[in-house]
Amino acid sequence: MEKKLIVEDQIQKNKRKTIVICGLMALLFIGIVFSVGFILFSGNIYISLAFALPVAVGYVAITYSISVPAILSAAKARPANPQNREEKLLIHRVEEMSIASGLPMPKVYVQESPYINAFATGKDPEHSVVCATTGAIRKLNQEELGGVIAHEMSHIKNYDIRLMTVTIAVVGAISLIAEILFWSMFWGGAGHSRGKGEGQVILIAIAIIFAILAPIFARLTYLAISRRREYLADSTGAYLSRNPEGLAKALEKIRDDHIKEKPKGSKTVAPLYISNPFKSQAAAGKGSIWSTHPPLDERIKRLRSM
Amino acid sequence: MLLWIGLILLVIIVVILLLIFFGYYNRIIRLENRIDNSWAQIDVQLKRRADLIPNLMETVKGYMTHEKEVLENVTKARSALMSAKTPQENVDADNMLTGALKSLFAVAENYPDLKANQNFLNLQDELTNTENKVSYARQHYNDSVLVYNNIVETIPGKWFAGMMNKKTRDMLQIPEADREVPKVKF
Repeated sequence: MEKKLIVEDQIQKNKRKTIVICGLMALLFIGIVFSVGFILFSGNIYISLAFALPVAVGYVAITYSISVPAILSAAKARPANPQNREEKLLIHRVEEMSIASGLPMPKVYVQESPYINAFATGKDPEHSVVCATTGAIRKLNQEELGGVIAHEMSHIKNYDIRLMTVTIAVVGAISLIAEILFWSMFWGGAGHSRGKGEGQVILIAIAIIFAILAPIFARLTYLAISRRREYLADSTGAYLSRNPEGLAKALEKIRDDHIKEKPKGSKTVAPLYISNPFKSQAAAGKGSIWSTHPPLDERIKRLRSM
Repeated sequence: MLLWIGLILLVIIVVILLLIFFGYYNRIIRLENRIDNSWAQIDVQLKRRADLIPNLMETVKGYMTHEKEVLENVTKARSALMSAKTPQENVDADNMLTGALKSLFAVAENYPDLKANQNFLNLQDELTNTENKVSYARQHYNDSVLVYNNIVETIPGKWFAGMMNKKTRDMLQIPEADREVPKVKF
């Protein structure tokens, strides 16, 4: 009973931190709207809101219609074949986690790759897909594979795919608005608020600086959310499988996996994977504020402390 | 004027309270359904395991001709599982079957021909899978009961649960399966 409480506390902590970081993102968005207001519309927030909101909503809507087939074909993934023993065992592990989590059974796909990796995608639990690499199903034993699958199912359970898609759309919207701001300044000038004195100029300067920095901060915030959700998937997965050691061992194997092959596909799918496939194995051990995933060493340490 | 404001305020408060009540009512019902669903899932997996046994017996029969006791234990345990009526009988029979199967697979290690038999390997995979599923289904049942009990026992959930006459549910107590490594005569 004591062990379970610690995992549950970790889950609660991760959920709370996500809310804090999302709040930061919302502030950034509001900030850029205000900046646009000051610079273009002489401080009129409502005009700038009327302009910014449709942009943001449009961006979110477009990115929200996640194309699962597109992601799968970019990764060159194919449905798992139950006639192949390794792939059949993969399907078994997904079935087991589906029962443990109470989620509907996702589609199971396999990606040809010597790397050990796995990802989950889909716009909601009823339309989800779990995919593992051939490297993963061959190099991991069933305990480790179970841990990896538990982690991926946790992403589905926690609606992380939806969260990350909306977040990246907001980041895109913030960057787009900042760019439009600069273009309009370039062409039209910030001349709407003439002769209002020094105070106004300082405010405009602050707004410009903010508009430059906002996209960068938005990106950093997005990456912080991504890392937080990875920790959450680790702890939820540990709770579902009641075996944090399985995932810990799998992460160790991933860390020591030394192959140099260029992975296919767009980098935006990186947060969906259990370990960023676009990073060299050495870099994945450590982390930085620019990482989508927390450092492997830290994840292993946290899992073993559960 | 004041009367109107007071009246409107009262209506707003009542609406808010109703919404809260609806929220908790639906949540409690949904959690109850989740518990019932996971209970049914346990049965599905247990039945599936029982169904796999005859096929397993057919496959090993030809190879393990001198292991009468081990094979009989499996068949006996399966019958007990099929005829179990109460949840406790169910759990005890299931435990017995798990133990009997463990012995069978331990003994099978001495029969390389059997271990190479594709059918046997498939059945072993299926049985492991089904046993895991039984275990996770019970876990999910207990997890669902925990979430439900938390709502029903804490404030304000307990007031609404009282109104709906809903009580806390019991978790499944699963006795530790026999962990001893079965002794095999050579």
